[in-house]
Amino acid sequence: MYKIIQNRKIWLSISSLFVVISLVLLLSFGLKLGIDFTGGSILEIRYDESIPSVAEVQDRLSSVELSSLVIQPVGADGMLLRFQEISEEKHQEVISALKNIEGEISFEEMRFEAVGPSIGQELKKKSIYATLLVLLAIVAYIAWVFRRVSKPIASWKYGIVANIALFHDVIITLGVFAILGKYFGVEINTPFVAAILTVLGYSVNDTIVVFDRIRENLPISDADFEDTVNKSVNQTVTRSINTSMTTLLVLVSVLIFGGETIRSFVLALTIGIGIGTYSSIFLASPLLVVWERFRK
Amino acid sequence: MSENIISRILKPGVRGKIWRTFIVIIIITFGLSMIDGSSYYDKSADYLEGKFGISLPRVEPIPFKLGLDLQGGTHLVYKADMSLIDDGDAGAALEGVRDVIERRVNVFGVSEPVVQTNISGGEHRIIVELAGITDVNEAIQQIGETPLLEFKEEETEIRELTEEEKVQIEAENAVAKEKAEEALSKIKDGSDFIEISKEYSTDENIKIAGGNLDYVTNLDDQRTVSLVENLEVGAYTEELIDAPSAYEIYKLEDKKEKTNPFDENDVEKEVKASHLLLCHNEVAGCEDGLSKDEAYTKIKEIKETATPSNFVSLVKEYTTEPGGADREGTLGWFSKGMMVTPFEDTVFPQEVGTISFVVETQFGYHLIYKEDERTTFEYKVSVVKINKTTELDIIGPQAEWRNTELTGKNLERATVSFNPSDNSPEVSLEFDSEGTDLFADITERNIGKPVAIFLDAYPISIPTVNERIPSGRAVISGSFNVVDAKLLAQRLNAGALPVPIELISQQTVGPSLGKISLMESLKAGLAGLILVAIFMILYYRLSGVLAVFSLTIYGILVLAIFKLWPVTLTLSGMAGFILSIGMAVDANVLIFERLKEELRRGNPYNLALDEAFKKAWPSIRDGNVSTLITCFILIQFSTSVVKGFAITLGLGVTMSMLTAVVVTKNFSKILDTEFFGKRPWLFGGRQLTNKK
Repeated sequence: MYKIIQNRKIWLSISSLFVVISLVLLLSFGLKLGIDFTGGSILEIRYDESIPSVAEVQDRLSSVELSSLVIQPVGADGMLLRFQEISEEKHQEVISALKNIEGEISFEEMRFEAVGPSIGQELKKKSIYATLLVLLAIVAYIAWVFRRVSKPIASWKYGIVANIALFHDVIITLGVFAILGKYFGVEINTPFVAAILTVLGYSVNDTIVVFDRIRENLPISDADFEDTVNKSVNQTVTRSINTSMTTLLVLVSVLIFGGETIRSFVLALTIGIGIGTYSSIFLASPLLVVWERFRK
Repeated sequence: MSENIISRILKPGVRGKIWRTFIVIIIITFGLSMIDGSSYYDKSADYLEGKFGISLPRVEPIPFKLGLDLQGGTHLVYKADMSLIDDGDAGAALEGVRDVIERRVNVFGVSEPVVQTNISGGEHRIIVELAGITDVNEAIQQIGETPLLEFKEEETEIRELTEEEKVQIEAENAVAKEKAEEALSKIKDGSDFIEISKEYSTDENIKIAGGNLDYVTNLDDQRTVSLVENLEVGAYTEELIDAPSAYEIYKLEDKKEKTNPFDENDVEKEVKASHLLLCHNEVAGCEDGLSKDEAYTKIKEIKETATPSNFVSLVKEYTTEPGGADREGTLGWFSKGMMVTPFEDTVFPQEVGTISFVVETQFGYHLIYKEDERTTFEYKVSVVKINKTTELDIIGPQAEWRNTELTGKNLERATVSFNPSDNSPEVSLEFDSEGTDLFADITERNIGKPVAIFLDAYPISIPTVNERIPSGRAVISGSFNVVDAKLLAQRLNAGALPVPIELISQQTVGPSLGKISLMESLKAGLAGLILVAIFMILYYRLSGVLAVFSLTIYGILVLAIFKLWPVTLTLSGMAGFILSIGMAVDANVLIFERLKEELRRGNPYNLALDEAFKKAWPSIRDGNVSTLITCFILIQFSTSVVKGFAITLGLGVTMSMLTAVVVTKNFSKILDTEFFGKRPWLFGGRQLTNKK
């Protein structure tokens, strides 16, 4: 049997350290918000044959007034253009500006997105509401599921502890994305919000399985709370790791084969679920014991 | 014996029940896999029939419903401007916008377009999703268009000038006259006419032309020619000309015969003539009922009796030219280029005072009486023009048309029809009951007068009302082709938007990006599935094999539901499904871990199995319910990307619970035999424990 709970100080220190670092990163770098949040336009084109240089594209677009234009090549034959939110007429102007000077060489418009600022504002608000709602619903659900367990600690405390673990998972995932945004230009968009919320659901799933064992062991165990929790964690640790393993196997294969468009989405899931597995073993259960000790 | 078999089927023992469930599972799985791979099944059935003559029933192929990002398409968000609408009516107005857009969108031929309303943050929105559309720009234009159909009648109320305004006009015109007289006296004193014109003229056109009108002919400007034709070259009008809108002084600079621009020796002539026209039934709009031959015979007869003196009376009796009898067939003065070629070819060389032979043109048969002929003169004229203040300047242009209460909202339907006489396309309008009454009133009070049909503030048809129309039907005939007429009918049917809309967000995915994404995510899903299968078999041995079977059935089941429901598959939806495979494994892992524990405790296989399922179930349930809660909250997001993900993940989680407790349990129980009972190591238990 591994001494997981007994070494809780180590795990709690590691978790606290990462949370603090993540918070510092978030406050200093912030997240790189995509156009879903800020409003703006993205145009992705793919050239049939010879691909012009960034400077050439910039030159062609000089006739169209576009503020905050950023051009970056994508893959071997693509170009990603970002600029402020524009109307459909302006969009057509951009397309023809790219075409005209090009002459015969044609390209295909892979995607175009133009998001107004009000939509972005609303998405921000909605994302925060949705996250809070998920957290609240999970506390309520856990409190209800564990309602028969009141000794030695009350059922709603399981919910709170699960939430602390979730908070930990989300903050560290966001911290990773603060770095990715700062140095690799990875942007946060609507699917990212979905990924974060899924991490919440998945991570709590993991935590519940451990708690469930504790609930099962408590009435039949003659050891104290700490040892009972440790035994439960040990009984479920293989399952936790195996489940995460299989899920991560799938996610990694999507990450590798799944293409550009959902990469940041899957990356968020992968990181979040990895951390979620850690927190359900090394954070949630130790915290239960800490809380029980503190009461005494 | 036979009784025995029947009773064993009807009242099966414990093992029989397990086998029965197994068979049901296999049959259902088989059926579902036919739905999943319907096209493959049909293809192999075709092959078998061709090769061996075995006829198998075919299944109706059901395609997956792909989202915008997988098949290409556009997601548009419109904001409806409710600033002019009472708060209470905003909801209804938004619904109205939705209906109109839905009708317009249905024209595009997109399969299952989505048009939804959404109110968030105080903004009223319409969300339009068009999958597989090729010309997004065109679609956006058509959705946003607001056709405004109006019926107008002639403005009869003319605003009169007030007394003060009359005084004002008089005072200003006195000033203008004084100025004009000053200019005239300066000219008389010998000042250069052009210089004076440049100095004094207030008329914009004259100022631009520098006082010079250049050469004009009688046909260009009859009034000017009549003023200067009796002057000597170099002379000017000595009296100030008091025209309605200006005081003018004219000077004849030059006068010459007009010649053919290509041949200076060919002096152009003007001709004065009248004619008698007889049309026939090959001419559009002809109503005399004569065939071409009959018309020819008849006009020959008329020609026999015609003389210059009786020509007018013959015209009055026979001509079929609209209004020709009233005008006695006169055409007045005309020059070359103004009549159709056969007519001109006849009349210009003709002797004055004679009647021509029969001339055929596109209008029918003509007899032409040439009344007079003259040389065309050109006059080079300069002018001083000092504008007067007129009523128009004070009141402004008066509206020609006045709105009626009849508008596009009274329109029941618009259809394309064809004019029976010339087959030109028209748009027929049918009004609702209110519109029918209004239209009857309008036609009644405008008999003999024009009524204009305006579309988007342009008059597209100005028919003259012949009689009161009580039927509520009108026809817009204009010079449009069938495509235009169809478009107009569609737009009219779509009706006007009750409030203006603005496009605030657009997400368009090109079809090839969609295809790439689809292929990539399929590949990813398959790779993920294989990795999971390998891991499970390596780790859980025989149980792992069972789990892989169970997972395969899970996959078949979920894909069939995607098709049958149908669930719109988006890229993130595919990710949701792939993630749910990972989570489906979780239920199996929970069960097998428990089974291993129970076996290690030394429990026999069948008991261990029951215990494992009993104890694993709360964990499976609680864990998955929390995921379902998250999915439920995600579905509330209106963004289809997130929604698609939440739906597939939620569906996947639900189905994974079902397959774990039904399929995995059944498969495990089938292995509850003496052979496997003696070898618990196959399930991860130890051989050792069995010896106890």
